[in-house]
Amino acid sequence: MAATLPAKTSAIDPFAAAPEPIPSGPFSIFHRLSKWRTDLGLPYPGNTEDLTKEVKRTQLTNLLYDGARADLAKAMSMNPLFQVTHSFSLGSQTMPPTYSFGAMYGTEKSFLHGTVDHDGNVTSRWHQSWSPKSTTKMQAQSASSGVPGHSVAIFEHDYQGQDYSLNAKATNPWPTDMSGIFVFSYLQSLTRNLALGGECLVTRSPMMPSGNATSLIGKWTSTDKSWIASASLMPDNTLNATYWHKLSEKVDVAAELMMSAGSVRREGLATLAAKYDLRMSTFRAQVDSAGKVGAVLEQRFTPVFAFTLNGEIDHFKNTAKVGFGVQIESSTLSDEELSAQMGVPPPGALVI
Amino acid sequence: MPSEETKEVINKVLEVSRAAFHYAWIPAIIYVGFTRSNPTPSLIKLLSPLA
Repeated sequence: MAATLPAKTSAIDPFAAAPEPIPSGPFSIFHRLSKWRTDLGLPYPGNTEDLTKEVKRTQLTNLLYDGARADLAKAMSMNPLFQVTHSFSLGSQTMPPTYSFGAMYGTEKSFLHGTVDHDGNVTSRWHQSWSPKSTTKMQAQSASSGVPGHSVAIFEHDYQGQDYSLNAKATNPWPTDMSGIFVFSYLQSLTRNLALGGECLVTRSPMMPSGNATSLIGKWTSTDKSWIASASLMPDNTLNATYWHKLSEKVDVAAELMMSAGSVRREGLATLAAKYDLRMSTFRAQVDSAGKVGAVLEQRFTPVFAFTLNGEIDHFKNTAKVGFGVQIESSTLSDEELSAQMGVPPPGALVI
Repeated sequence: MPSEETKEVINKVLEVSRAAFHYAWIPAIIYVGFTRSNPTPSLIKLLSPLA
């Protein structure tokens, strides 16, 4: 009992105060600055890549396709996550029918994903977390023909600071002539609501003169995080402004304005989108100033069977496309095995 | 700058590793998933879309 008593009164324990000594010399300024910065309690502003994440989730740009699709996913194990998928698509006006096989493996630290299509083209993705704050990502596409120019490799490192985010990315780096596309980005919270940052893109190529471009980024998050406004200004005088608002638990709306005032041409595009999350379905609708109207319905009939229906009409070009798809998820695990594994929280690496 | 011969060697090594990656990536994921899954799934269920 006597041994535990001093631990409780740690405020007067001389050894408890020891772990944070005030260093002297040139480091004391740095130490004081970092302490002052910690005391500000600024929030993490998010990645520059995720600047318009909420807007993209409301819009249906990535969800539209034409023709029919079927995705069969089979979960072999939940923790670690191991899943194989078979995807079929056919009936598209522009694309030939395709089949692709995918495999996915995820733990809390690493995430591996690969797909191969019927032509033998391989895509891959590998995320590795070294600590909760730093993650290395690798993405690659490799064409079966081996023709140079069809293969892409992207190496990326993400660092998540206390009130800032850092990202370095190299696309197709080639050591012999030091060519490639390199992007460095930084976003810093200045107040509880405002974050400012920049992105620097450096292009090095043996064929073309190397160039660089710096864009400026700003993000305003409301105090209760119910709305987010962002703006990014590219050096070719392109401004991209977005606004996202969560109106209620079930309704999100997003607006995006893209204006380009380059020396060659001037153009603008405004997009308005809304998303409704219903109990077993999600409905998205979108209209833009280029005359396109689209909608996507994702309906989940049972936990393992989902149906999607999407359509878009281009009023200016007088074209339309319609797509529908089914997603079936099955598991090789029995109910007891599933419930035993579900007691463990699913791996965080699941978020792609 | 490295000499032309070194460059050629590096280019060849990178091309071979690209080919190795191309054919080994999916089998590698399946192998890792298959051996570390709990319980180990059966192979026929793993590869057939219908099983």
